[in-house]
Amino acid sequence: MKRHALRHAMLWLVAGLLLAVWAFPVLWGLLTSFKSERDVLAYPPVWLFEPTLANYREVLFGASSILPNLWSSMVVSCSATLLTMLFAVPAAYALARLNYPAKRASGFYVLATQMLPPMGLIIPYYLVLQKIGGLDTYSGLTALYLSFSLPFAIWLMVSYFEDIPYEMEEAALLDRAGRLRTLWYVILPQVRGGIAVTTIFVFLNAWNEFLFAVVLGGNKVRPVTVAMFNFISVEQTQWARLAAGAMLAMAPVILIGLAAQRHIVKGLTVGAVKGGGRR
Amino acid sequence: MAHTLTAAPARDAGPVTLARQEQRFALALLAPALVLLLLTTTIPLVYLAWNSLHRIDLGMPWLSGFAGLDNYVKMGNDPRFWSSLWLTVVYTCSTVALQVVVGLSLALLVLQIPRGQGLLRIGAILPIVLAPVVVGLFWRTLVLAPDVGLVDLVTRSLGLGSYNWLGDPQLALISVIAIHTWQWTPFAFLVMLATLSTLPSDVYEAARLDRARPWQRFVYITLPLIRPAIVMVVIMRTMTALSAFAAIFAATGGGPGSATEILNLYAYRTSFSELNIGYGASLAMVLMGITLAISWLMFRLRRSR
Repeated sequence: MKRHALRHAMLWLVAGLLLAVWAFPVLWGLLTSFKSERDVLAYPPVWLFEPTLANYREVLFGASSILPNLWSSMVVSCSATLLTMLFAVPAAYALARLNYPAKRASGFYVLATQMLPPMGLIIPYYLVLQKIGGLDTYSGLTALYLSFSLPFAIWLMVSYFEDIPYEMEEAALLDRAGRLRTLWYVILPQVRGGIAVTTIFVFLNAWNEFLFAVVLGGNKVRPVTVAMFNFISVEQTQWARLAAGAMLAMAPVILIGLAAQRHIVKGLTVGAVKGGGRR
Repeated sequence: MAHTLTAAPARDAGPVTLARQEQRFALALLAPALVLLLLTTTIPLVYLAWNSLHRIDLGMPWLSGFAGLDNYVKMGNDPRFWSSLWLTVVYTCSTVALQVVVGLSLALLVLQIPRGQGLLRIGAILPIVLAPVVVGLFWRTLVLAPDVGLVDLVTRSLGLGSYNWLGDPQLALISVIAIHTWQWTPFAFLVMLATLSTLPSDVYEAARLDRARPWQRFVYITLPLIRPAIVMVVIMRTMTALSAFAAIFAATGGGPGSATEILNLYAYRTSFSELNIGYGASLAMVLMGITLAISWLMFRLRRSR
């Protein structure tokens, strides 16, 4: 009995440590964002300090405000997400449910495009957009975001379409409902949850993207991931402002992530599970 | 292909027209997405391959022009290329191995905790949803900065002294490996936890009746059962590690010197810092070749099981 209790205590200790290691940097950042610059650099670190909102005020309304950057991120992420879903959902339905020639090949093509390293895409995009004056524009960056979000969304949606029983659409088709009507009125309502989860993931990936944003962005289109470097330079790091900026930039994804945590694993494993040829 | 040849059960419209109607519908749904993918991925890649055969120097544009295979020949004698290739291997192998081993051990451990798993799962989500660039900056400042970072606070209070975690070449490599492992181990952990909790309990009951020791149960029952999940994690994490960029860029920028410059960062620095885009394109081609070869190999491996 005593050994049992000891074992449990040990397990709890390890689990607590685990949670601390994962959550601590974020919590520490949250704490830092309310400190004054003087308190940040205090040694030993001060736990009791006078919390200040000055950092947030400066980051939002000061000279290097990240509000325009949050707006940039929002525009690019939303337009990329909307376009992605518009194209991905019908394609996924065809891949999951319909018979047509070269079905395997088209599925494999989508999967292969998901494997492409971003560095291979950014160079040609940069050269072309530079020539046609597309650098620092929303449409240029959005087009590039489609290159990774579209294959991802297609494969995630395929897994949701495959979960619907075949009988549903067969019944609808026997009733001589057209294929499009069947898809719209019978199938799509079944995958509402899947569409929601996919939308969330596409948005998260677009919001967090950095490489494409830093190369193709400029003064006008400058997503918030790039703007984090406003607070850090070779000479000086503005610790508390960086922390406040990071908290604001990451607040949407943290909130969405926590709300959708049940579906996170499924979303992250897409492609490998299905594309690996399970059947 | 085979599906279309086997006729659907005869309906009044006739199997041939029904099949054709289905094909036409599939094409209409699929074509827009495929065209878009062609435009946003495949054509740019062809253009990348074409550019890798050119000298494109944005700093000295008058020198630009067709160069044949010069860029690839140059790579052979470029020690920085070979070092970046080696660093890519070290970085990828170590981070993937660490994620699988740590993630699996933690999942096995947490599985034995009767309550509170939900809290741990939420904690595990945190690193995954953060932007890698923010993670890199967090570590560079709050965690690894000399004197004031969390790690230095611990080593100093333990009397081990202070270290320049990102300034010393060897420590910097270990640091970026640690950052990547910190961010993505929760992924392996969550997948393993989900897989382990679906394993059938009767097998274990039988093993216990046969007096199999815990490690025997693990090696002969658990491991074979979760092998598909492990393979899946390895494939996905390898792809992520090969294209890792933002966290290293934010933490070290590839430095000090080129101590943490994996191939991905070398291609970036060559193209966009040194503005030697032609050579950068050929480096990106090599990276792409490696990525596609590995993914092909891994899917073959997976299918043959």
